[in-house]
Amino acid sequence: MLYNGGMGSWREWEIKSVKISDKEYPELLKKIKNPPDRLYYRGKWKRDLFKNCLAVVGARKMTRYGEGVVEKLVSELVQARVTIVSGFMYGVDTKAHEVCIKNGGKTIAVFGSGLNQVTPAGNDKFYTKVLESGGLVVSEYEAEMQARLWTFPQRNRIVAGLSKGVLVIEGGEKSGSLITAKLGLKQGKKIMAVPGPVDSSMAKATNWLIKSGAVMVTTAEEILKELGLVGETVKKEEIVGLSKLESQIVEELKRESLGVDELARRLNKDVVEVSQIVSLMSVKGLIKEYVGKYMLG
Amino acid sequence: MLTKVWSVAHQGLQAIEVEVEVNVASRGFPGFHIVGLPTKAVEEARERVRTALVNSGVDFPQKKITVNLAPADIPKEGSAYDLPMAVGILTCCGELMLPDKKTYFFGEVGLDGKLRHTRGVFLLAMLAKEKNVREIFVPKLSANEASVIEGVKIYPVGDLLKLVRHFREERKIKPLATVSKKQILEEAEVDFDFAEVAGQEQAKRALEIAASGGHNVFMVGPPGSGKTMLARAMPGILPELIEGEALEVTKIYSVTGNIEPGGGLVRRRPFRAPHHTTSRMGLIGGGSKPMPGEISLAHRGVLFLDEFAEYPRATLEALRQPLEDGIVTIVRVAGRVKFPAEFMLVAAANPCPCGFLNHPKKDCRCLPGQIIKYQKRLSGPILDRIDIHVNVPFVEMEKLRLKSKEKRKTSKEIRERVVTARQRQENRFSAKGGSASRRKIFTNAEMRNKQIKKYCQVSDDAERLLQQAGDRFQLSARSYFRLIKVSQTIADLAGVDKIEYSHIAEALQYRIREEN
Repeated sequence: MLYNGGMGSWREWEIKSVKISDKEYPELLKKIKNPPDRLYYRGKWKRDLFKNCLAVVGARKMTRYGEGVVEKLVSELVQARVTIVSGFMYGVDTKAHEVCIKNGGKTIAVFGSGLNQVTPAGNDKFYTKVLESGGLVVSEYEAEMQARLWTFPQRNRIVAGLSKGVLVIEGGEKSGSLITAKLGLKQGKKIMAVPGPVDSSMAKATNWLIKSGAVMVTTAEEILKELGLVGETVKKEEIVGLSKLESQIVEELKRESLGVDELARRLNKDVVEVSQIVSLMSVKGLIKEYVGKYMLG
Repeated sequence: MLTKVWSVAHQGLQAIEVEVEVNVASRGFPGFHIVGLPTKAVEEARERVRTALVNSGVDFPQKKITVNLAPADIPKEGSAYDLPMAVGILTCCGELMLPDKKTYFFGEVGLDGKLRHTRGVFLLAMLAKEKNVREIFVPKLSANEASVIEGVKIYPVGDLLKLVRHFREERKIKPLATVSKKQILEEAEVDFDFAEVAGQEQAKRALEIAASGGHNVFMVGPPGSGKTMLARAMPGILPELIEGEALEVTKIYSVTGNIEPGGGLVRRRPFRAPHHTTSRMGLIGGGSKPMPGEISLAHRGVLFLDEFAEYPRATLEALRQPLEDGIVTIVRVAGRVKFPAEFMLVAAANPCPCGFLNHPKKDCRCLPGQIIKYQKRLSGPILDRIDIHVNVPFVEMEKLRLKSKEKRKTSKEIRERVVTARQRQENRFSAKGGSASRRKIFTNAEMRNKQIKKYCQVSDDAERLLQQAGDRFQLSARSYFRLIKVSQTIADLAGVDKIEYSHIAEALQYRIREEN
């Protein structure tokens, strides 16, 4: 840690840079058509970080489904020591970084602005969190550069360029994730997409990608296979030792996420009883809540 | 000739005796003057009184008339001095003879001599009782307000002519019969019943707990999910107004003119739902002559703030102090006024600006940045004063229809449990030397940290659960104490004193969901 105790702020981390001629410059990024001459970064630069990178991109307006997918896949990928690269935006990007950090993984956030500009504004705490977890934030722009509309697609080529493959989780019709996927394809990266519900507007990009030849993935193993990391293991947990009502709730939540009222109605139980059980299960970390609905944690 | 007639002025929720001196001089130019800091409405009484008297067939004296409102240094406002002035003039002309005993006259007259509905009659009657004044004359339409005050004869006056006949003993006005407060209060009915609200079992339960412990509630849910209906049903599950409370509420309503013509004692717990564009003064109370705001009108009842996020920050912050103290003090250069404001806050908001975040049927049209900004507006110190946070999800009608056979709990059933739970609390707080603390408390919601430590017993495994929950959800010290307060109410509803494991578990459902 560079700073010692006190107020942890990303500003206390020094901005450094690597040139394309440096030995440290990521190999994969060097190979793309128009690599940035200089990469600015905050955080601890380690070569291992760039060994097994996967770009996880998707909609800013992530749905609950998307969130669940990120949690499931990223947490398992982290067990296999994959570095998660993403764009530090709302939605899937932030979630991917977040889940990665939470599971003790390393993450790289590629900014569409200079490193002294936090985009989206107000993400300061999270910025610090990425650095503290041993992750990196990188950008090809000067520190004070503001984000522009065109800087984000530019940034996307670095996101794809650092990675072995691009995983698209959710996206609307004209999603920026499609740009990342296209750039990745040009760079010769593996393009993977997670299928989504047919009627969801946030699944348009991913389903289109699958139709157009992207690899459809639904589990972490499949992704690892695509990345050529078959040897890495994915840890799995089964929930054991549940009471009858608890396992009934788990069964219901496996199908879809539900609110307390709905759970009580389905299980034909009193709402007070279900409230209690559900609280206890969240304390144990078996399930969690998102805007009034519970899902498996 | 000089005549003195008694009336009252209002200062905040206090009534002050005012002596209306009327002098009809036999010398000087004819004219009509009012002195004693009258406002415009009082000044204009000249024209009203003159015309009313002429139209009642009285020969209006063509003499110099001077009216003084004493004490002369208190500003007088309103139209209630019309009647005492008219009576004064009538006495001076010898049209009627006033009794020797002190009598209050109060009310606005119309040009035809009829008396109009005038606000503040209830306070007048209270003052009369206090000052031992046996008879008061008030407009017929407002007389009912005072009908519960015992020991004061209330004469409902229809018009000036009837008053003249009364004093000439030609035809007496019949005083109002006193109505028993108890009887009136028992007849009170509710306007919404919980049984009418479809689904929302958890929200109903949350409101039941809120009513039992006097906790404030915050409901989040999409439009049309029933937030407003639930809030409207809230007064119906609160214990019935007791006599003292009803008097307090009526007082405020009388001063602000919120009692309908002909209406009497306020029997229902107030339910106020001010719009989110209401000014800060409108909500808290104020004005150059301070008047109670919405929070005082909601005294002993429910203040419902819909679209909570739309209220200006400054307005909400101003709610903090009255929420804590149950009283609001308005200070003006001219003096300070206190208005009671013991209300239950029920706030409601949409989960995002468009309202459809996480809606099963409709797409949310908000940008992520907008949602974050919106939710930030919903946080802050005011939410810290709200113990119960509950989600009110969208309910699909088909699902409800299938289950329409199920019996829904009625407000009456819930109220019974609420009353029992409140009784438990009162017993607990009065039993263990309540005199030691400065402020007397009745409900769990009023407990401060010190009292929580004193009164709340938490079983061992409940304590453990509290700690686990604290770690898992990263509860702040404040949320922690809030959790205990709500658990205590749940325990009271269950009929036990000690907080058990299951009570904490349920209370966890109503905590604030903090970001990250």
